[in-house]
Amino acid sequence: MANQGNGNIIQLEDGWNNVIKRGAIDVLERTLDDGFGTSFEPKEYIRIYTTCYDMCTQRSPYNWSRDLYQRHGETIEQYLRNTVLPALQDKTGQGGTILLNELKHRWSNHQIMNKWLKKFFTYLDRYYVKHHSLPTLEQAGLQRFKEEIYQNVKEDATAAIIALVDEEREGGIIDKTLVKSIVELYESMGMGSLDSYTADFETPFLEATRAYYARKREDWITKDSTPDYLIKVEKALNEEKVRVVEYLNPASEPKLRRVVEDEILQKVQMNLLEKEGSGCRVLLANDKSEDLQRMFHLFSRLDSGLQPMANIVESFITEMGNACIDKRQTRLDSGEKDKNDDPEFVKSLIDLHEKYLGVIREIFASHHLFQKALKNSFEEIINNDVGQFSNAELMSTFCDRVLKSGGEKLSEMEVEQSLDRIESVGQRLLNQRSASDDAEKLMIAKLKVQCGTQFTSKMEGMLNDLAIGNDTKVEFDKYVAKQPPINLSFSPQILTTGFWPSYKSPEIVIPENMTKCLEMFKEWHDVTHTKRKLTWVHSLGNATVRATFGKKSYDLQVTTLQAVALNAFNDGSTLGLEELQKSLNLDLETLKPLMHSLSCGKHKVITKSPASNKINSTDTFTANAKFTCNMRKIRIPMASIEASHSKARVDEDRSYAIEAVIVRIMKARKTMKHQQLISEVLSQLAFFKPQPRVIKKRIEALIDREYLERSADDQQQYNVSFLFFHVCIAH
Amino acid sequence: MASRKRKATTTSSTNISPSNKMWSSSSSASAGRRKKSAAASTVSGGGSAGRSRGAGKSGWDESRANEMFDAIVEEDSPDTADMEGISKLCTLLSLDPYEDIRVLVLLWKLGATKKPSEIQRDEFITGSCNMNFDSVEKLRELIPSLDTGFLDMEEFRDFYKFCFQFNRTGTHKTLDKDLVVALLKMTLSVDSPPRISPTRLSTFCEFLETNTDESYSKITLDQWRSFLDFSLEYKDDDGGFEGYDEGESAWPVLIDEYVEFMEKRNGTKKK
Repeated sequence: MANQGNGNIIQLEDGWNNVIKRGAIDVLERTLDDGFGTSFEPKEYIRIYTTCYDMCTQRSPYNWSRDLYQRHGETIEQYLRNTVLPALQDKTGQGGTILLNELKHRWSNHQIMNKWLKKFFTYLDRYYVKHHSLPTLEQAGLQRFKEEIYQNVKEDATAAIIALVDEEREGGIIDKTLVKSIVELYESMGMGSLDSYTADFETPFLEATRAYYARKREDWITKDSTPDYLIKVEKALNEEKVRVVEYLNPASEPKLRRVVEDEILQKVQMNLLEKEGSGCRVLLANDKSEDLQRMFHLFSRLDSGLQPMANIVESFITEMGNACIDKRQTRLDSGEKDKNDDPEFVKSLIDLHEKYLGVIREIFASHHLFQKALKNSFEEIINNDVGQFSNAELMSTFCDRVLKSGGEKLSEMEVEQSLDRIESVGQRLLNQRSASDDAEKLMIAKLKVQCGTQFTSKMEGMLNDLAIGNDTKVEFDKYVAKQPPINLSFSPQILTTGFWPSYKSPEIVIPENMTKCLEMFKEWHDVTHTKRKLTWVHSLGNATVRATFGKKSYDLQVTTLQAVALNAFNDGSTLGLEELQKSLNLDLETLKPLMHSLSCGKHKVITKSPASNKINSTDTFTANAKFTCNMRKIRIPMASIEASHSKARVDEDRSYAIEAVIVRIMKARKTMKHQQLISEVLSQLAFFKPQPRVIKKRIEALIDREYLERSADDQQQYNVSFLFFHVCIAH
Repeated sequence: MASRKRKATTTSSTNISPSNKMWSSSSSASAGRRKKSAAASTVSGGGSAGRSRGAGKSGWDESRANEMFDAIVEEDSPDTADMEGISKLCTLLSLDPYEDIRVLVLLWKLGATKKPSEIQRDEFITGSCNMNFDSVEKLRELIPSLDTGFLDMEEFRDFYKFCFQFNRTGTHKTLDKDLVVALLKMTLSVDSPPRISPTRLSTFCEFLETNTDESYSKITLDQWRSFLDFSLEYKDDDGGFEGYDEGESAWPVLIDEYVEFMEKRNGTKKK
């Protein structure tokens, strides 16, 4: 500490030249240039630091802070201008890597220089810089580098990096550390922001990338099949992702990805999907699940990129379905009888559905667009009817059969069938012929998943009725026990109107002994449930009849209607069809199948004369005294008098659905143009697409019922009617 | 009114149609002077309200009007004249109750809208006051004014609707097809010039008669009214329906099918 005390003021030039320049700056420049590393002995460092400190703490006019700050900047500037820039300019034109290496070298030198200078002059940072709000020594140093070097070489450097990246894209090995350090230089030049990186490097880089992949796209799309192309896309996308991690700024990742996706996916999306011989359709047809999966993943990256693919899937499945239908058509054309169940056909449709349900789950990750595609296509297929029976009817008959026999477990069924199914299920439950309640429950659960609650609430209601039915039976039995005994056992089942389909109920004349049971139940029921109305649906009942033929007696399991008919022959009389019709009060449509089941089936408990397989109005009937059978217990099946999946019934259900939608819309809108209403109705109906005429008829029906009225001024417009309008307001 | 006997019925009807469209003058219906108080007085019935009305009308006497009504009703239902009662009135007026359209015009002007096929005492009293008659003689003088030719289109529309409503049975909301055909011919072919083209009328009747669709065995009010509106909008009587587009049209399906029927017919004719 030689220069302490009042008399030892350090003059500016003296301190600068003798200590700082000679001891620090010259040494620094020399060691940087010879490349053997730069370091200062602590003792030396302290001497320089102290000189700076003294020069900055001497009283005015001998305080040299301002001069030292200025000379610090000039020192760096001169070194950069006189030494570094010429060296770099020397390397320009010798190849990108050489330039980049030199730049890397010079940049790291600068960092060393900047670091030491900061250390020597650090006292400036503490007071002078703070006090005058100047750039810190480090910032000033960087700023000089940016002005003197960076601005001059950035374009060449960027071009050099782009060239290296392209080289790597083509499979070459490049010096990634070199690129990474230059990228760091770009980052530093933003002085705390990414602006320099973005403007000077990223933007040109992305442009170059776009151009690169545009070239690749043109090349690949002509040469490669869709799967091969997509493999390359997948690879490219992965590589670019790795590239960012390895030597670019993470902020570039999404931008780079978008550029690449745009160039090699978006721009050729339709070409890829529809490519002849290897497009999406072909992949579907050949079950190329891996390729499809890749295609799905890649296109799912694009905005709404999956829709075109889903469209293709939809039209493909529809085509497959129509092929099944065509096959059926061909069989029908070749003279095969059109029955209301066609297992082969139904099976093929179910298999088709199952298959693509699997495909959508496994390959398309159950994406909603694809689920919708499947649903749409099957809607279309199911409504494409050939032959006498609708596909929906075939399906529901098939279902019914499967459940009745309790055979194979049901696979997924079509949404479209749900309406029919409600009825089929209803009949099976009542006839107590269901293979198992569990199977029905399972089925309902499945339907619920597929169709939503409004479709299954009815069925749940049905099952609930049956559950309550058991309790009712117990209570009723208690009641019966207290009454005078009757020689028939009797168990009623109560069905809640609304849950069950409306059944045809012939007003058959019930024999007296059976009437007693009915009356007894009615009495009990009226007492227990005072506000309910009881209606008998005999067509759904079952009975066990003990019949004696000769010496042997049999238990015949029959329907209530059959039992009543059998009762008529109890006295051994011979009756004609017309007589029967009168005494039983049945119409011929019900009576004919009824008598057919008793006299023409497997078990002919009634003899028909003349014997034939058809019921004619002139036939006469008598009990078959000679009837024998190995079994004691015989079930005599009868064709259901309900055409359970009739078109009329479906149409009826649909009418309600359409009307409900119309009312809902009009309730909200109060007034609406015809066209708007029709299209709104179509868009709100989830499970079927009625013809406009069908909707129109429902509108007319609502006009007749005074829910709606035609606008007085505009024939094309409907208004909510006055009365109904007030109901709307009131709600 | 179409040759079909009707019975008066006691079941109530939900119809609440146009009590506000009663016309004060019978001789010049086209002048269209609307009596605003008519709706209110219809509801209040023939009692005290009738008297107060009587004061305003020269020579109209409520008690005489009541006597007129008494003469045509049966003792067991003194406040309702069914078709039998209306027939009695017609005989007094020398009109054919089942064939003469003027009877329907009279009933419409009287405001017999509460129930089909009958006129209530209060309707008759209010109506006779409005038309200013209290004797058969006075009414007979009004008969010439009952010609449908005097009605302007707005009035005619209302009358046309009334014809449907009045010819219903009890609470039924529809008319049998046969009756509709007879009524159409009766209401739409008497005026000169005709309200709608005669060809349109005859082809539509033919379409209805030959149609085997079960759902068209009955015709609704909406279909009935739409036919008139449709015929007025598509006046062309050579069977062309320029601008008619089923996809766009809000016309009832019955009209769509009629157009289809005509186009098929004309198409085959050309060939």
